[in-house]
Amino acid sequence: MNEFSAGRKAVSFLILLAGIALLVGALIFDGIASSGGYDFGGRGAMLVCGILVTIAGIYLFPTLKHHRAIVYGLFLFPLLFTFLLTVIIPMCFGIAYSFTDWNGIRLTKVVGFNNYIAMFKRPEFLWSIIVTFLFVLLNVILVNVIGFLLALLCTTKIKALGFFRASYFLPNLIGGIVLGYVWKFIFNKVLTQIMNTETSMLTSSGTALIAIVVVYIWQYGGYIMLIYITGLTGVPADTLEAASIDGANAWQTLTKIKIPMIAPTITICTFLTLTSAFKQFDVNLALTNGSGSVNFFGNYITNGSEMLALNIYHTAFTENNYALSQAESVLFFIILAIVSIIQVRSSNKKEVSL
Amino acid sequence: MRGKKFLTAALCAAMAVSLVACGSNGGGSNGGGSTGGSGKGDGEVTLLNGKPEIDTQLQALAKKYTDETKVKVNIQTVGGSNQATASDTLKKDYQAGTMPDIFVAETNQFANWEGMLADLKGEKWTSNTDVEYVDASGATIGYPYQVEAHGMAYNADILEKCGVDPTKLTSYSAYEDAFKKIDAKKSELGLTAVVDYGANNTNLGWSTGTHLFGHYLDAGLAMTDTKYIDLLNNGGQIDKDRMTAFAKFVDLIQKYADKTVAVNGTYDDQTALFAKGKAAFVTQGSWFGANLTSNDDYKKNSFKVGIAPVAFIDGIDTILGGPSSYWAVYKDGDVDLAKAFLQWCSEDTAQQILVEEAGLVSPFKDCKYTAKDPFAAAVTKYMNDGKFSGWHTFIKKDGLQNKTGQVFQDFADGKLDVDKFVSTMESVCKSYYAS
Repeated sequence: MNEFSAGRKAVSFLILLAGIALLVGALIFDGIASSGGYDFGGRGAMLVCGILVTIAGIYLFPTLKHHRAIVYGLFLFPLLFTFLLTVIIPMCFGIAYSFTDWNGIRLTKVVGFNNYIAMFKRPEFLWSIIVTFLFVLLNVILVNVIGFLLALLCTTKIKALGFFRASYFLPNLIGGIVLGYVWKFIFNKVLTQIMNTETSMLTSSGTALIAIVVVYIWQYGGYIMLIYITGLTGVPADTLEAASIDGANAWQTLTKIKIPMIAPTITICTFLTLTSAFKQFDVNLALTNGSGSVNFFGNYITNGSEMLALNIYHTAFTENNYALSQAESVLFFIILAIVSIIQVRSSNKKEVSL
Repeated sequence: MRGKKFLTAALCAAMAVSLVACGSNGGGSNGGGSTGGSGKGDGEVTLLNGKPEIDTQLQALAKKYTDETKVKVNIQTVGGSNQATASDTLKKDYQAGTMPDIFVAETNQFANWEGMLADLKGEKWTSNTDVEYVDASGATIGYPYQVEAHGMAYNADILEKCGVDPTKLTSYSAYEDAFKKIDAKKSELGLTAVVDYGANNTNLGWSTGTHLFGHYLDAGLAMTDTKYIDLLNNGGQIDKDRMTAFAKFVDLIQKYADKTVAVNGTYDDQTALFAKGKAAFVTQGSWFGANLTSNDDYKKNSFKVGIAPVAFIDGIDTILGGPSSYWAVYKDGDVDLAKAFLQWCSEDTAQQILVEEAGLVSPFKDCKYTAKDPFAAAVTKYMNDGKFSGWHTFIKKDGLQNKTGQVFQDFADGKLDVDKFVSTMESVCKSYYAS
């Protein structure tokens, strides 16, 4: 049976057409209803039927050559459609909004690149960028070093190993907001009592930033540790045994065997800490909400401890400047994309040469 | 093989039927939302409330209204902190097409909704109050559901023990003397500080940046006098002499405040200090009454309270008062039902719940109830004596309080002196209005 009969062809085209007709009909009824006209209650059912009949029509499409491709497409469709709806369309909207004067409710005109120019004239925003980069640099180094050291500790033969692993990992299971409030209490109430000071670390920009770094390491160190543990336990025992027979001491084993063997793990961990540190938001919000004063090139600015993500949030929600914050988000996206691409590229090379 | 095919077909059919069923239900309710309530023929009004502390009482109010008129009232409550506000929720609702019929709006948010709110002019309740919100074009778009006031709240018992007459607190020197007198008796009365002042920007930026700052804008002026807010809204200018006098007064407060609470403290710390009777004054407004009455220390050991003017210039005898937020009616919602509900809210049954149970101060003249809130009597007295100054702090540019709040914090922390405070305030306002 290489050919489809004429009747079979006609039926499948008819089903496809009926499905499309139902879809279009439902959309027309919806348009009528939302413009205040006749409200046809069955349009929802019509839409769903239309979708199902269209899918059936596509499935029965009279072709042998492309039948497999059609089936693959149909199976992929739900995922692609969801991806389109939740990622691609919102992103296009966001980029489009950044060229307007949208205030969260409505937009009156398109302003071109004005938002992009305006954001670079804001000392607050520039300060946020600097702070974020500083924070990322500090965190990528510190979290990885501490996570790796903890992992070394937790792969030795100490007692109650499970307990230590679990307790180092535990902070990661607490949400950032809760963690932020807990630490806020520690900084404001406990540390001021212990150090006997009147003001807490959170009230000045510099010390507040250190506080955020500390909390972030506390939250993330255990998670990174877990990944390093997986890497370290994956180092073949015979290699280590051979090294010890050859007379390598602990330091040589670490630098000459373990670290080169877990290079892929280091890549993953660096990548994870890098992107998550860039997107730091919840601890920042709960701990200081970005406050703190800084003298930045002669401007007194009041967002001394505000990272980029929180700055975008505040621009939109407290300053009611939605379009500007969209422009800032686009820049944020570009920075993140570039960093990620560079990271992945460079570490791929390293793994190949290994 | 045959059986398997049959099973597949049956399953598909079952799925299709269930989808269609869901679809038709969903279609019905979505239609109601996206067409702005045309599907709500059964009589439903939705109110978005921004005051979590009166949520229970509003639910009771809604139930009573449903019992009387068969119209269902849904109360949605959001807010309570700087982070999740009613206005964010509304923006989301607007995008999703699920706007409530009545929603809470602060004065500076009305501009965002221009042309989307129903004019309530000519409603019966408008002749019963003076504080409804009327926009520039003369349309009545804000329904006042409460009145709040802000000044220097005080513990009357402590003032009496120290021989301070609160009615005389109308000048800087009077406050200076009063603070000295109380400070001298501090250990005898077991006080931690004379003034309970909180200026941490993260925790209390709304208090300093909006309310205390509001005294610079309005204290001592008539209700409709907009001199200093006009100056501010014109590119963020400030009057330096007035701001200097104001700064000196804030400095005086700081001198007699507990620095730890002033720089690090939260609203809860501030409440605890005053409720325990460990401070004579607190820089909070009439809403503080609700926090006091729910505090265990205050329940055990209650004391009389009052509100004094923030008299940084000699002769200031007014406090800031008026509705801090309004209820607005969405034009595309069910306007008639909303109007009927609002009218009912201004009448006797509803006023009893709102005033006696929710503890709000009524903006309506014929209201015969008094709230058992500790500050209600003081607020009502100022209102009836015509000693209210406006709440123009609510029409400054949205978000300025986050910037000025930081200046107050640095001032309290000793990083700025009076002159620096004034100059920093000026540069912060100017740069915020420029952006």
